[in-house]
Amino acid sequence: MSGEKKEKTIKRLKAMYPLRSLVDKMYERAVEYNEEGKPTAWCMVNWWGADAVLRTMDIAAVYPEDYGAVCAAFGTAQAFLDRCNSDGFPDHLCGYARNGIGYASRMKELGGIPPEAPMSGMPKPTLLLCSGYFCDTRYKWFQSLGRYLDAPVWLLEMPHPGVRESLSGDGTQKHIIEFMVKELREFIAFLEHLVGKKMDWDKLDEVVNDLIEMNRVWHEVNELRKAKPCPMHSRDFWSCMPASLYVAEDPGKTAVLYRNLYDEVKEKIDKKEAAIPEEKYRLAFAELPPWHSLGFFDKLAERGWNFVVESWSYHPPKPTDLSKISNPLERIARHTYRHFAGFFEEAYKNGEHLGYFGYPYLDYVKEYECDALVAHPLLTCRTATNHLAYVQDRLMKVLKVPTIVIEGDIVDLKHFNPEEALRRAEAFEEVIEHYREVRKKG
Amino acid sequence: MTKRGNTGLAKVKEIYEDRSFYAKQLKAEDKKIIGYLCIYTPLEILTALDIVPYRLFGNMREPITNADAYFPTLVCPFLRSILDLGLKGKYDFLDGSVMPHVCEVGEKLAHIWRTYIDLPYSFYIDTPHSKSEAALEYHKEWLNEFKKSLESLTGKELSTESLKQATKAHNEQRALVRRLYELRKTEPPLISGAETLQVMKALMSIPVKEGNELLQEVISEVKERREGPKGGTRLLLWGSNIDDIAIIEIMEEFGANVVMDDLCVGSRFYFPDVDMTEDPLDGLARRYLLDLKCPRTFIGAAVGDTKRDYPKDLERRFGYLHKYAEEWNVKGAILYNLRFCDIHGFEAPLVKDYFDRYGLRSMYLEHDYSESSLAPLRTRIQGFLELLT
Ligand code: SF4
Ligand code: SF4
Repeated sequence: MSGEKKEKTIKRLKAMYPLRSLVDKMYERAVEYNEEGKPTAWCMVNWWGADAVLRTMDIAAVYPEDYGAVCAAFGTAQAFLDRCNSDGFPDHLCGYARNGIGYASRMKELGGIPPEAPMSGMPKPTLLLCSGYFCDTRYKWFQSLGRYLDAPVWLLEMPHPGVRESLSGDGTQKHIIEFMVKELREFIAFLEHLVGKKMDWDKLDEVVNDLIEMNRVWHEVNELRKAKPCPMHSRDFWSCMPASLYVAEDPGKTAVLYRNLYDEVKEKIDKKEAAIPEEKYRLAFAELPPWHSLGFFDKLAERGWNFVVESWSYHPPKPTDLSKISNPLERIARHTYRHFAGFFEEAYKNGEHLGYFGYPYLDYVKEYECDALVAHPLLTCRTATNHLAYVQDRLMKVLKVPTIVIEGDIVDLKHFNPEEALRRAEAFEEVIEHYREVRKKG
Repeated sequence: MTKRGNTGLAKVKEIYEDRSFYAKQLKAEDKKIIGYLCIYTPLEILTALDIVPYRLFGNMREPITNADAYFPTLVCPFLRSILDLGLKGKYDFLDGSVMPHVCEVGEKLAHIWRTYIDLPYSFYIDTPHSKSEAALEYHKEWLNEFKKSLESLTGKELSTESLKQATKAHNEQRALVRRLYELRKTEPPLISGAETLQVMKALMSIPVKEGNELLQEVISEVKERREGPKGGTRLLLWGSNIDDIAIIEIMEEFGANVVMDDLCVGSRFYFPDVDMTEDPLDGLARRYLLDLKCPRTFIGAAVGDTKRDYPKDLERRFGYLHKYAEEWNVKGAILYNLRFCDIHGFEAPLVKDYFDRYGLRSMYLEHDYSESSLAPLRTRIQGFLELLT
């Protein structure tokens, strides 16, 4: 993109920087642990289902899914993808997974972290922890890593009830939580054998509380963004989100950083400061952003496009009072399930069937008073893509809010064409204006 | 109830070619018909309540047009095709649908389908991914919820006895299918791969009792007929959904015999029985979660494992395939996948590794579920078969 070097239009929040840097530390910690002979895990994002347990057991986690984005950004992904391809995996599979398989294959060949690995690399894991949450890649990918790594692979389950069944059946809710708690108990028994030490339940209790509190504050920050104009752009969200999503640092410490962020956003709201010079349009974004072309958002900011809400799956759960629940495993289960099903009741009332990935966008667009959705389908991430056409249709049918679709990919960065996208965005402003009128007329 | 009073393979062919014809006839007789997705729906519960289970298939010969508005082109084309047919009204004769969590996109389909296809009844079963005791209990609860929802649909209470009777009838069908598959062990096999697929699809379109009668007829017929398949390279076909004979016909036209399969319109659906347990839901929960061998269900470490041994892992997951290969005496395997199916896409290279250990050649074949893309597959199939002879 031309003009990339000039001063950025989006005003970044100062409190974002310390949160953003936590991810680098997460990788460094894993490498250090490995060097010291301490346990490390490759994990799929599990929406806090496992993170508190791993932290309490002092197992350093890294997330190959995130590392896929890192490799793409550093330009090292292609070689790993090619390797995966020549190992016989089809090229329609998730780009991050293929990157991870290529990386593991190379690691097997060398017996350690490949020298071309960006950041500090991912060390050989003691454990492969996959997740039953959302996407099939989340468990099938790690199963296939058995070709290259000798770490045991464990799946932490996640129920996926439908809106109607979960709310109309008498016992379904209870069974969901019971199932998750039992799965966690089994997981802990497995970990105790794996690392040769017992779970410190008091410590777990504390870590779980900190984690829930961290996400509560993070949720409150995002609630503030309903303000007009909005002082926190999606770019800040994406920079701050990994600290929560990966529990990259002790959650108690991270909660303090989110509180600082809250204060800064609040102060800006009081001063009526926007994240961009003039907030003409308020936008929602679904799902993964084009990490390598984030300057694109500055260009849109010049046109008055402010991104005020985004990426439902990266958001923390809606807070709910779990303080009366004494079993920390049940608190974890309820917290994680809340992420999945936090919008279900509203969806049910409104007769909507896709309670996650679908209905949250209807809610966001209403609550954050968005003029449009920017949908970003990704060539090799089905999970971030398969609901987008549906969401586009629901938004139009139910709320008369239009969607602009801009295609991209998670590893093939050339797929996203910022110039072309910008041209289309300009033309789309007419559509936005049109539907503003339509909504006004009711 | 056939159009021309056919029996045996002729009747199979007739149903295969116009499967909804029979369903509509049953409907006219006031039967309830419920469409189901994939292999994880406990059909016994439907049968026990006198509901006809009718498997949802796509149609690879019909271009997908209407589904584009709700499902992008990068998801499983088979599921897209099912949605497309639904949107075009081709499943309007159904009284309802039941969809389990077969895979991520299948789960989305359940919710999208409900939004746009207005059938009087729909149910979604949250089938777990794993095989733990907790998952099994959870699964049983869902089957119970499913049962309750059908009871309120029909206004009938489902007795343990009827469920046991229905289970027996379905087990009988499974035994008959296994008998039919035995007839593929001979050289040459008594029934071709394409014919077998037609039988499978016909069975998935009619009530179980009629299916059992049809199977008996087919078994007697193929045992006696003279014009069966000729000898050829014996193949095992592994993979995801195949609901059209075209791809198997290509293999058989080039002189192969598809003598065994691990497909969800085939042995994967029919081979495991349901144990006759005191509470029939126990047997059903176990069979549908633990015994079905689809790669969508996870098999991993157990408590106590601290390392993973890849060869052992392969043996644990795919041991049954080696038995198939030996018992049906196959010379090669085709690993078939639908484009964009992640579950089978991740699995295929590992299945290949497994077959390699036994010196059994295999080839990965990907298809986008359209008639027009069969041509390039022909060349690859031919090349592979040449390699085997
Ligand atoms: S398919 Fe998408 S959500 Fe799933 S692991 Fe890959 S990038 Fe992540
Ligand atoms: S072929 Fe694959 S993606 Fe399609 S329904 Fe079956 S498991 Fe799901």
